[in-house]
Order: sequence, then structure tokens, then C-alpha cells
Amino acid sequence: MKLIGVDVGGTFTDVILGNTESQSVAIHKVPTTPDDPGRGVLQGMIEICERSKIDRAEIDHVLHGTTIATNAVLEFDGAATGMITTAGYRDILHIGRHQRPQHYSIMQDIPWQDRPLVQRRHRKVVDERLGPPDGAVLIPLDEDAVRQAARELKEAGVEAISVCFLFSYINSAHEDRAAEIVREEYPECFVTTSSAISPQFREFERFTTAAMNAFIGPKVRDYVTNLERAISDSGFRADLHVMGSNGGVATGAMVSERPVLTLLSGPAAGVLGGAACGARCGRNRLITFDVGGTSADIGLIIDGQFAEATARDTWIGGYPVLAPMIDIHTIGAGGGSIAYLDSGEAFRVGPQSAGAAPGPAAYSRGGTLPTVTDANVVLGRLQPGNFLGGEMVLDRGSAHKVMGDLAERLGMTPEAAADGVLTIINANMANAIRSRTVQKGHDPREFSLVAFGGAGPLHAVDVARDLGIPEVIIPPYPGITSAAGLLTTDLKYDAVRTEFQVSGDVDRNRLTRDFEAMQEILAAQFGADGLSTDQVNYQRSGDLRYVGQGYELRVPVADGPVDEANLAAIFKAFQDIHNTEYGHVFEDNPIEIVNIRVTGVGKMPKIELPTSNADNDVADAQIDELSAHFHVGGKLKALSVPLFVRDRLPVDQVINGPTIIVQKDTTIVIPPGANARSEAVGNLIIKTGFRS
Amino acid sequence: MNAQSRSAPAVDQVTASVIQGALENIAVEMGYKLMRMSYSSIIRESEDFGAGLVDVHGRGLAESAQSTPLQSGPIPGYIRGMQKILAERGQELKPGDAIMHNDAYAGASHGPDVGFIVPVFYEDELIAFSATTAHHLDIGALTPGSCGIVDAIDAYAEGLQFKAIHVYSEGEKVEPVWHILRDNIRVSDLVVGDMEAQIAAARIGADRLVELVDRYGKETFQAACDTVMDHAERLMRQAIAALPDGVYKATTHIDGYLDHGDPAYRELPLCVSITVKGSEMVVDLTGTAPQIPDKPINMPLHGTVDIAIWLTVRSVLLDTAVHGHIPVNDGLVRPIKIVAPEGCLANPTFPAPTIARFCPGNQLADTVMKALSEVAPGQVSAGIGNLRVIAFSGLQGSDHWVHMEIFEGSYGGRDGKDGMDAVDTLYANTRNNPIEDIETHLPLRVDRYELRENVCGAGQWRGGLGSVREFVYLNDGAASVEGEGHKFAPWGFRGGNDGAYAGLRLDRRDSTGGELPSKVPHTTVKAGDRFICIGPAGGGYGDPRKRDPHRVLSDVLDDFITAETAERDYGVVITTEMTVDEPATAAQRGQALSQLH
Repeated sequence: MKLIGVDVGGTFTDVILGNTESQSVAIHKVPTTPDDPGRGVLQGMIEICERSKIDRAEIDHVLHGTTIATNAVLEFDGAATGMITTAGYRDILHIGRHQRPQHYSIMQDIPWQDRPLVQRRHRKVVDERLGPPDGAVLIPLDEDAVRQAARELKEAGVEAISVCFLFSYINSAHEDRAAEIVREEYPECFVTTSSAISPQFREFERFTTAAMNAFIGPKVRDYVTNLERAISDSGFRADLHVMGSNGGVATGAMVSERPVLTLLSGPAAGVLGGAACGARCGRNRLITFDVGGTSADIGLIIDGQFAEATARDTWIGGYPVLAPMIDIHTIGAGGGSIAYLDSGEAFRVGPQSAGAAPGPAAYSRGGTLPTVTDANVVLGRLQPGNFLGGEMVLDRGSAHKVMGDLAERLGMTPEAAADGVLTIINANMANAIRSRTVQKGHDPREFSLVAFGGAGPLHAVDVARDLGIPEVIIPPYPGITSAAGLLTTDLKYDAVRTEFQVSGDVDRNRLTRDFEAMQEILAAQFGADGLSTDQVNYQRSGDLRYVGQGYELRVPVADGPVDEANLAAIFKAFQDIHNTEYGHVFEDNPIEIVNIRVTGVGKMPKIELPTSNADNDVADAQIDELSAHFHVGGKLKALSVPLFVRDRLPVDQVINGPTIIVQKDTTIVIPPGANARSEAVGNLIIKTGFRS
Repeated sequence: MNAQSRSAPAVDQVTASVIQGALENIAVEMGYKLMRMSYSSIIRESEDFGAGLVDVHGRGLAESAQSTPLQSGPIPGYIRGMQKILAERGQELKPGDAIMHNDAYAGASHGPDVGFIVPVFYEDELIAFSATTAHHLDIGALTPGSCGIVDAIDAYAEGLQFKAIHVYSEGEKVEPVWHILRDNIRVSDLVVGDMEAQIAAARIGADRLVELVDRYGKETFQAACDTVMDHAERLMRQAIAALPDGVYKATTHIDGYLDHGDPAYRELPLCVSITVKGSEMVVDLTGTAPQIPDKPINMPLHGTVDIAIWLTVRSVLLDTAVHGHIPVNDGLVRPIKIVAPEGCLANPTFPAPTIARFCPGNQLADTVMKALSEVAPGQVSAGIGNLRVIAFSGLQGSDHWVHMEIFEGSYGGRDGKDGMDAVDTLYANTRNNPIEDIETHLPLRVDRYELRENVCGAGQWRGGLGSVREFVYLNDGAASVEGEGHKFAPWGFRGGNDGAYAGLRLDRRDSTGGELPSKVPHTTVKAGDRFICIGPAGGGYGDPRKRDPHRVLSDVLDDFITAETAERDYGVVITTEMTVDEPATAAQRGQALSQLH
């Protein structure tokens, strides 16, 4: 079996080829082609096959991480979109939750008002109305009005239409019928219903998700179709799978229909890559820490499972999205983050970033502001001659100059100022990790930090120490962890239904029926993708809350009919999770089952990364001795430290800090008191000096 | 303290910056936990709660980013009020204590916003306070719910008064107090559950603060707090100093009780006079109407009036969209002095009732913005549309159900931008409840929720649109209403038109209903009766005849306004093909064709 993973980033498209027969891996990078990312994808695939001397026709699967949907939202570059909704509710999409994004601002923008996914002129209303609790028809659907609306929207040049009715999450009949009529009137239109995309209560969020699906639909559909054709025209016979925000892949057909499922495609692959890396050395409680030039992405793996974001915490470009997503916390902290004194003389770092252009001063591309990268250069942690495998030479003089200017305003030495920059950015990153762990009842000291991205391994040990984390893991290829993560994914589809059933009065037969019905829908999808029943696993869960609460917690549910014991276990699990997350239970209060979910996982083939048994002398791996600044006994001191090359490190020999290890795609800093050991499976394990 | 003459800081700027971030992180965690643990929709969906950290001197250190400003802002005042009462009683705080406080004459925002305060001890020394506030569904007033209590005659009629009451004493629950709460509050399961969630969240804040102090040492921690507050003070002083010295005045009016026979209860002026001198500002409310001794629209000076003023000055002068994230702490308010004559609406004397001060306070915020509009015209909006709250209630058996819904206003037009449509304004920033949630859990139907068409403050930058929401009762029940803006429209600015009034109608099935004033005391409602709630439209900014005709056309295409309105208010003539008739428009506007764009 031969697999290709392709992850499109802002600057580079990363490609990885895994061969299960030879158990070998090849990696490659090509420049991203922003005007048509598919071109870079194809070029990368062709080149990696050529370099590996593998016939294109032998590739079995292509797994693809893409930002096409995300960028369409962030750049507000989607289709002319229409909506057909219930009469009386034309402006749900515009009013939202009537809350402003900022408390203290007169001049702020409101994304859903200033950049509406559907302009009001294209929001058509029709008579129909369903009501709770069972979706009873209060007002029948006016089919003629739907037909009329579809014609008007077609006439107006709309390319995509979302059908959004109240309470469709209980009863989708009206939405389904309306969509059918729209397709009759306007067959070439991209049509979405809110119940098909996300059958959950909260109309603003559900309608917005459906509208966003329509808004990005034609673009993503065209991208996927064109890419599939181009791949096949180039002699590949592999099928294309696209990474979803939920941590699984979906077929091209599925993604074309529900592009909103891919909004976190790239970052999700990163979390999976981090998880796979931890699993290779037997660690299953992990914090993934992916730091690039402008941002840091943080994910959490508990018992080998990644956390999923709660529905109220999932936003893209300022719009709420009700779609299953890995819980990834992104903050504006990276190598390009700019350090400055604000007008009140407070020392700040980020979130503004110099990005790749003009970039840090040390890049010599015109950057004139001090950045985190410049601070690392000034402290000797980034080595001018050993950056990106020598492909880019850093300008130490420029880094010193900009840091010197900042230091002068602070009344510090340039080294102290640079140290301050790192202290502040590391504290920001540690706070972001705290918000994902401590705030949710998890003790970070019980986790390992998996650091990747170009800048992750530079900061990882300091950040880990800030949190008391005992161990940092650096994957073999930190710069392409997302692409590597693609090779570890499975096909994954989710189904959800809102139940609103309360403990003491639960219709267990209905739960059993609904679980089974959802599983059948997923089974049909997997069947259509060509998977046999034994290749698919199903996991059930529920979103529960105490009656009256507004936030649900995800609780696992056992397979099979929902009997008394099963139900009791569900409620017990809810209490336990509530206690973990909030430190508090309300013993006597009734519990509401808000949503139930089934997740289907269809196994994809996997490869094992090659192992190493290099047992050369550590001295062979050392290429230089240099001066770098570290804290010793609370004071910043210049120390003479050895510089090692990652791929020459022998297996299982401990290297004590302070030292710096370079490799083509990153630089790893081991401060005094920490030590590093290279493992046969390719990971570098750093002990930070804290015991768990 | 004068920022210019400060001595050298006792902590380096790096550590100060790190501690500042840690304080904010703690406050965020408190808010996160409270919001998720709480029961009533007013807290968990509307987000009408606050969380914050305060030093031993009652100075705010950090507030939770998720909470509403009118809840987090007053927290330092709650602490100072509690400290004063405890000192008068000669009571000392001990580790393990938790204090309940809602005294509107001692720092609380108003009675239903109950504060729970946990003193933070480090090595047996009191070093700070961790506190949460939240709007409770019911506080045992004369009628169900805690809003729309518009006929409470004094502070005693508003519900239970908690003046620095121990609910936990040295770790022990003070059971009698909890019995009183359960016995005197409607829907006490929800309310007491929310109160427990508040205490749990405040304790988390206290624990985290101790961990933080443990890490850096007490002296460094306190020095960092001083540095962080001084920093915020400098930002505010710079922003004030950028304004020309002078006196800037504005007056707006509140409805008061429009159906009251006595004119002293109606059409009441709110007066603001801002004196800018160097880096300091005095906000003088002299001229504001006298307090109403027996109606609860008086505004607590500490907890409502101060927050309205601080919030507005900050939002205009240090706008987040312009200046980025700015830490919220005591430093921001130091350069602003407030003067309010005793016995006026903005500084009432006990026991004048205050429970329905929400809308007057937001009108005061609008008046402050109007005063600033003269000196910072590019940083304000034209007049805002104020809000309304309705308490829907009823009985199921002998149990009450109570649901409070906050109805949005809208912003006035801005320099280069139209006003924000159908949002909470100024010191309020809550969330509405999903229709699908309301109808699933309550005997109510929301029959309509849309923008209000063809009514808006015309301007070069038009005012934000109001909303229309209709609620129908499925069972017999009751309602009470507190609102504003039925008599006075949001002000237009720089040649923009005034916005539009709010309105409220109750269509009763027995045909006895009709238009209602902005305040309605508890009234019974029958199944099938319908509230039609019309939101106000914000004022216009700039001459409507300078509005880009294509923006006017766009508004017509979106049915925001009709073609007739386009011609009347904007002088823009729209053809039957839905295009701008440029020659006719130029003629209407008395402009040359080339001046149109």
C-alpha cells in the first residue's frame, strides 16, 4: 500500500509518501500556489513519486489537508448565496444573538452584518412552521412560494441556496421538500439544508452554518472536482480524501456536498500528527503545540483521543459554525510576533506579526521591527548559518540592531530585552495552554508536550517548564507534522440529533431508535465510499446538561439498545465529567439529554515510520560550539554550548543541556537542567527537569 | 496618584507583563466556569454576569472578558461597599468566608445583581478578593421576576437586601441564610443553583490567585499590580490629554412614567457636563432630574452611574477596534472624576428604589457620548436606541416559571460606517435566547423576529435598524416590562436625522389590549395574547443627501427602506429597473451629476 499526504500551508505545500510494503517514508516541499492551490498539490505529488522512483499508478490513496474552505470564509470570497427561510424570521442571520463582538468599542464591525453570507435581498421567506417538542406542523409548507423564491433567486444570479427553517432539527420534512423544489427549478444550483448540515437547536448558529456551507460550496466543489480530474489525468489511480475538521477524512464527494466540514482541515491534521507521534513512544496524554510564524495552535489528546470543541466555541472568521471540530486553540504568538512598548510603556509581544514578509529583521527582507525570531538570534538560540538547513542565512547584525533599539527604551541590555521578549511570548503560550487544560480540570503536569512547526521546538521546554510539564516530544519531521498526520487518519463521519429528553422521563425506545437510524445513515455513506461493514466502527455519545444549563458536556454512550443500566451509566458519566470540568456536581438536579451523536470511523491503511538504531558516538553529531544565553541561577548568562545535528544523533543516549540541536526544518533548544534523548522510533524526548 | 511623578517601579516590565496576562487568564477562567455551570438563561445564554479580581484596597485588577460590562465593572465597588459595612460592624474576614452582597447603596449595581465575594488569603494575610456577580431571576420582590418591578415604592419592596452577609463562615455553610433564600425567592432551585455556581467560580479565582502569588512572591505580585494599574492610567490620561481642554455639555431625556398623572414622573432630563483639563476629566451630572422617591428608576451612583460613564469614555477614547486589547483595571478610571448632586436620579438617597435603573443608566451612557461628540466627533456614534427587558412568568401547579428576555436597541451612524443593527447598546452586551430554546422549554411562542423595515435615522451614515419581536403566550401567565425610548428618539448627529422611537403593544384576544408605555408593572396575560415589541432605530450621522446613492439603492434592494423613503430622506430617485436615476437624483439633491459619488 502506498499513500501520499499533501498539506497546503501558507508558504509551502508539504508532501509525504508512505510505503507500507517497504515501510519507508519520503518527504518533499513545494511552494504553495495561492491562485490555484491544486497546481502545487499536483506538482508535489508528481515530484515525490519521481524522487522516490515510484510509478504514479501505484499510489493507492491521496490524503489532502486544504485551506480552500477556510480561506473562502476568511477572505469573504464565496458564491452569491441565497436563502429560503420561514416567514417571520428573515433576519435571524443578521441579528444573530444581538451581542456585539467587542464590549468597549463604537467603531467595531460585526462580521454577520458587515459581511453577510447571504444579503437580505437574497433571503426569501415562505409560509411554513414547525413546533416543539416533536416537530408538529403548525403551518404547512407553501410549496408555490418555495418555487417562486427559487425562480427569483435564479433570476438574481444566485449560485447557491440554503434552506433554513425553524425546528428542522426535529423534523426535516419541510426543508427536504423545499430543497427538492429548488433543485427542480434550478438543477445546477448548489443546495444545502440546515438539517442536513447540522441538525441541532440554536437557529442563528445552524442557519449560519448552512449559509456558510452554501457560500463556500461551489468553490470547494469546483476545487475538489478539478483536483480529482487533474490527479487522474496525470496518471494517478488513487482516490482523493480530504481532511475534515473532525479529525477524520472524507471522500471528495462528501466534501463537495458539505465543505463546511473542512474548515479546520490543516490544523486538525497537525493535532493528529502530534497524537501519532506521541503514540509511537507510548504516550497518550498529550498537548500538541504547533508554532509557526504568526500563530500557535494548541490541541489536547487524552487517552489517545483528541478533544472536540463544544458547539458554542467554534467560530471561523467571526461567524459561529455548528460543525464537529477538533478543539484547537489558536493564539497570535509565533516567530514573527512583534515586540513593542505600547503608548502606556507596557512591554508587549504580539499578536501583530511581521509574517514571512517583511518578516523578522534577521530575514533581511525589509523587516525593521524586533520579533521573537530576532530575540532568538540575539540570544544565540537561532544560529545564522544553520537556519532551515542553511537555505536561509540570518542577519545577526539586524537582529541586534532592532533588539538594541527596544532595549534602549526599556533601559536594558539587548540580551535582557531579548530574554524579556521570550519570557512574555512563552507566558502567553503557557496561558493559552492553561486555558485548555487547567480551566477544564486537567493538570498539565500529567501531559507530554508535543512540539512542532518551525518555532515550536525553540520554545517548547521553556513553555513546558512554565506549566510544570515534565516532558517534551519533538517529532522526527517537526516542519511537516500536519502532512505526516494525514497518513494516520481514518474515514470519519458524524451524525447528530437533538433530543431534549430529561432524566426521570426518558423515552429509551426513542433513543435506541434514533441511535440505530443515525448509524444506518452513516453505514449507507460508508457503503457508498466502498467500505465493507467490518471496516467501520461506530462510537455513540450524547451532549448532556443539567436542566436549565446552557452548555452541554460530551458523554460516551455504550452500543446496543438503551436499557435502564445503560441510561444510568450515561447519567453517571455526565456527573463525573461535570465534576472534572467544573469541580462541582449538583446531585439532585435533573439532567437533560440535549443531543445524541454517532461517529463512524472507517479504517484506512496505516504505515509505520521507519526506526533507527544508530549507535554512533554523540561526538559525531556535534558540528560546532557556540555562545548562547540561558538562565543560570536566576541570572541570564552567556554559555558555551555544543551544536548538534538531529539526524546524526545516536539512539538512546542522553545529551545534557544546555545544547542546541538543528535540523532542516527547525531548531531545538535544550536549556540547562534539561536533557534530550533520541528514540529508535524517531522522536526526540526532552526531560524538562520537572517530575510528574 | 499622579502617573508622571511615580517612583521607579519595584518590578521589571517583563514580570509585570507576565503577571498582567496571568490575572486576565484567571478572570477568564472564573467567567468560563460560571457561565457553563449556571442554570438560568439570563446568566448562561444572556451572559448577564461578571467575574473579577480586586486588590485589598478595592481596586480592580482584572475582569472576565466574556461577561457583560455592567456586571464586571461594578465588582470593585461591591468590594468597597462590603468593606465599609464590615468595618462599621467591626467584622473581620477569615479564610474560608464567602460574602453575599447586593446593597445598591453600598456599591452594588442593583438588587438582583448579587455579588459573591471570596477573600483571598496568602500566608494568613488578606491580599485580594475574588468575586462574581450575576443577574438573578428572582430576588423575592413584590411580583415574579427581577425586572419590570417598576412600581416598587422603596428599597424594601424590591426584594431581599443583602448587606455583606456571610454565606460561608470559615469554610462552614451558614445554613440559616440559605434557608431564608430558599423560602423567600421564587424559582429558588434555579436561583440558589446559580448562587452556588457563583461561589464555586469565585473560589476557583481565589485558588488561582494564591498559586500566582506563590510563584512570584507577595511583594513582586503587589508591585506588578501597581505597575499594571499605572499603565492603564497612563493610557487613559494620554487619551484625555489628546482632547482640547474645555467644557462639553449634553442633555437627553428618559420617558420615566409616561402614563403617570404627575409631570414630575415623566420626561426627565439627564444632564452631562464634561470638563477636560489636561489629562483629567470631570463628569458633572448637575441639572439631572431629582430622584423619584417612590419609583425604582433611580440609578445607584456606585455600580450603575459610574459604570455608564467609565464605559462610555473608554469605548470612545480607547475603542478596542482602534487601540486593540487594553487591560481593564482601576487605572482606567483614576483620571475621571464624577460629580452628581445628592438626591438626583443619578445619586439617590436611601431608601429610594433603584431596581429598574437599567434603561436610565444606558441613557446616561448615551448622554455622555453625546457630550463627547462635540470634541471627538469621529469616535462616537449618533444617538443609540435603548433597550427593554420583559419578565415573562406564570404558574405551573404551585411552581413559578420566570423567563427574562432582553430586547436589543441599535447604534447610531458613525463616521464612515452605518450604525450597528439590532444589538445591545453601550453598557449592556447580553445575548438573546434562541427561539428553539425558548419554545422548547417555556409556554411561549416567538412568532416573529426580524428587522424593522423602512424606519431608520437617515444620514450619510445611517443609523442602525431596530428589531421586531413578537411573543405569544400558550398558557395564561403574566408579564412585567421595563423599557425606555417611547417618547424620545435617538439623536441625529452632524446633519443626520433622528432615529425612531421604540414601541410596545399587547394584543389581547379579548380585544382589550393596545399600545403600552415603556414601563408596565406586573400584568396578567391570557393564552393567545401577543406582545409586539418594536425596537428603536439609531440616529443618522451626517447629511442624508451626502449618502452615496448606491448605498441608498442597496438599502432599497434589501427592503431596509422603500424607494419613496429613498427619495424623501435621501433625494435618491430609484428607477423601476431598480437602478439609481442619476440625473433625477442630482436634480433632487441640487447637485451636479459629478458630485453624486
